Parts: sequence; C-alpha cells; structure tokens
Amino acid sequence: MNELSRAQIRDLMAQVVRNQGRVLPDDDSTDLREIGFRSLDFSELALRVEDATGEELNFDAPGLRRIATVGDVLDFLAELQRQ
Amino acid sequence: MTVATSPAGLDNRVVVAGVARSWRDLPVPALPSPGVVLAAGAADALAVARRHAVDGTELLLAAPTRVDATMRDELRAAGFAVTVLTAGVPQTVPPAVSRAPEAGRLWLLTSGSTGRPKRVGHSLDSLTTVRSAQPERTWLCPYAPGSYAWWQVVTLSLTQPGQHLVVVDPDELDDWPAIAAAHGVDAVSGTPTFWRRTLHRDPQALARVPLRQLTLGGEPVDQAVLDRLRELFPAARISWIYASSEVGASIVVHDGRAGFPVGWLDRVTPGRPTLSLRDDELVITSPHHGVGLDGPVRTGDRAQVVDDRVVITGRLDSDEINVGGSKVSAGLVRAVLTAHPGVAWARVTGRRAPVLGRMVVAEVVPTTAPGDAGAPPDEGALVRWCADRLPEYAVPRRIRLLTEIPVKETLKSDV
Repeated sequence: MNELSRAQIRDLMAQVVRNQGRVLPDDDSTDLREIGFRSLDFSELALRVEDATGEELNFDAPGLRRIATVGDVLDFLAELQRQ
Repeated sequence: MTVATSPAGLDNRVVVAGVARSWRDLPVPALPSPGVVLAAGAADALAVARRHAVDGTELLLAAPTRVDATMRDELRAAGFAVTVLTAGVPQTVPPAVSRAPEAGRLWLLTSGSTGRPKRVGHSLDSLTTVRSAQPERTWLCPYAPGSYAWWQVVTLSLTQPGQHLVVVDPDELDDWPAIAAAHGVDAVSGTPTFWRRTLHRDPQALARVPLRQLTLGGEPVDQAVLDRLRELFPAARISWIYASSEVGASIVVHDGRAGFPVGWLDRVTPGRPTLSLRDDELVITSPHHGVGLDGPVRTGDRAQVVDDRVVITGRLDSDEINVGGSKVSAGLVRAVLTAHPGVAWARVTGRRAPVLGRMVVAEVVPTTAPGDAGAPPDEGALVRWCADRLPEYAVPRRIRLLTEIPVKETLKSDV
C-alpha cells in the first residue's frame, strides 16, 4: 500500500485550504474553526488522500474521535490509512 | 400513415465525400422489407433514406456499432432481415420469422442513455417537423446515420426544395469546417459537445464558415456555448432544440438564451407540444411522438426554473447529487464552470465521500485558443470561481483537467 506520511497529508491539506483562498498555519494546534476548515474540506482532503494512495479509506472503522485541530486531522487520516 | 412517393426535395444538392449530386442521382439499393440496414458510410445511409422515401419500405437504419449481435438476433426474431451495407454492397442475413412489411414504417433506436436502445416507430411524415417554407440553406449533417437528429436534417432536405445537404463521415468530423466552407454550408446542426469541440480545436476555421443558422440539440445547452457561438456569428440565427425519438422535436428556442420561457409551461396549443414539469421532470405531450407514445411522456430529463427560464439540466437519474442532504444539480454546476472564460468543456458528477455521502467533482478541458489571455485556469482558480457563484456544498472540490473533449459516436459526451 502506498501510504502517505503525515507531512504529505499536511501538503494536501494545505492545497485544500489554498484552493479556498486561505493559508494553512504551521501550528498543528490551530483550531479548525479559526481557519474555517469544515466537513466539506475534510471530505475533500480524504478524497485527495484516497487519490494519492489509490486506496479507499475505511471510515467505518472504530475509533472515530473528536477532531478539533489541524493536528487532529493529520493524525486521524494518517492512522486511518493503516486500518 | 403517409408514404411519400415523390419527395419535394429530390432535386436538392447532396454532397457526399466531396462529390456533389442530387437526391435523385443517388443509387437506390435493393433492400428487403422489413429490413434493418446497418450503414457506416454517409453515402450508403443517404441512399437507404432515399429508397425509403420513394417506396416506403419498412426500415430501421443505424450505424453498425449501434446494433450488437444480440440485438441483431432480436431484430431477426421480430421479422427483420439484417443488411450490412458497405459502399453500395449489401450483405443480408434473412429474418428468423417471416412477416408482412408495414408500409411506410420507419424505426428509430433510442439513444440508450438509460439502458439498451429501444425501438420507436415513426414514419417519414412523423419525422418531418419543419413544414413551413424555409430560406434556402445548405446544411451540414454530422450525425450518425439513423439517429433522430440525422433523420431531422435528412427529412428537411428530402421534403423541402432549397434545403441542400453536405454529409461528413465520422473520420472527417474534426475537419468539418474546411469541408463546410468548401461546399458553401451556411447551416449546421450539432450537439453542444460537437460545437464545443469545434470551438476548442479551431475557432478560426469555424469562423470562416459563412453560417446563417446554427442549431444545438441532443444534450443540455448552457448559456456559455450559445454566447461563444454568438461572438463568432453575430448575425446568424442560433437555435437550440429539444428532441428525442419518443416525443420528436418538441422545443425550439431562437432567442439565444439557454432554457425556454416559463410562460411556455402548460400552454396548450393545437398541433404543438405541451410542456410540463412534474417533480422536476420534463413531461411532454407531443404531436410528433413515436408509435404508442401519445399523451404525456415522462422524458427522464430534469428541468428547473431559474428566474424566467426553464433550464434542462440533465438526466433525472444522474443530474441530482446529494451532498450531505443538500441537493445539487450537476447541470447548473456545469453551467457555472463552462461560463469561465478559460473553460471549453466540463463534466460534473457526484463522488462517494466520507462524512457527507457524496461530493461534487468535475472534469474540465481548458480553452487553448490562440489569443486567450494568460495560462489556463488551475484547480484552485476554478474552485474559487465556483465558490463565488454557488452554495458551498455545490462547489466541485476535485477538478481534473483533461486535454481533449471526449465525444461518442452520438456526438455527445454524457455530461
């Protein structure tokens, strides 16, 4: 499986945010509400990860958690690739 | 049923493979009736049409690729001989069941956009929807033989004096503007995809064709393609037509705008189609309908009222995308994308996505015409263009850039 690193997922997240005319902060603790990163953006990022790896992410896996910060998104998607 | 024995257009000029002659000069092939004729070449197809016009043989004419082996067997079981006609040479397989022909009957195959093509009964008379005297024109016919649109152009030329015809074979399609200019074509009917491909490939060559009539049909027509054609042909009449094998030519709009006026809905005029909307579906009661399709026909096409127009956005089963409970019309998103000056063509679809169920995604062909300002738009620029014009959930998030506008034999691209 062609797994993406956390840094690579961060690059994709930056592109999602950039397409909206915004900038992804360097600080992983930034609250998603501060940068207006919502469910549409999260879904788009998941599709980009799927396109990059050629693998479908399994969102039915247990362990869905509260995602509040940039770091939460990156950790969650990095972990999801391994499930 | 009327059987035309001496069509009024027999002396009209017909240009096939660069050779000009009249309908009267075309060969009249000996063909069985009832018969299916599979003709790939334009000359063969026109000769078959002429034969039907003269003696009313029961006929289903199609390109060979439209009728697979299973369908050929089904047609033979329904009493048809199946003939493959190549350069005037017929190869015929007899019917499996013998039956008497139905004089004057013409069969068309539906486009098959919702499954296997169905057979719809017509006659030359029911396919002839232009009856009033027309200004003299030389029409280009780019359609596949036997399709509803092909018959529309062919019956016009067969039945109306002064309506000449230039046909192009599929391998000539990319060069049609040069052929059209060489033979004095001043009227062309094509799908929006056909027009977009021409605008994309070589707008200068298109501008050299002295067009006075441009017609679009067979797919949803958006404002952008109408406007681009208007820029090239400011004095021409630009029309779009809604037509199908089932309900015939039912909507004709000449005002240069996408959609038709809301005031046309539910207007009952004797001899003319009645247009209605039911649950976002276009419903048509048409005098030009196929056999057994009288009364209101659900078209399977989705239409929406936008301001003072009724806009046909696409097929009912594929146009609506549900994004987290919000309904998006793929056709309306496509219209926003194609309105971008850097976009030549767009396809909008729904894609499975986490959290929301589906997301809007798109494929886009950027314009490459010389003289275009700057580089083609990138994904981010197109996303922001859409974000300025659409609700957030309707903005396509994944936009793939293609280099060529895809097209099928039907001149459509299944947008």
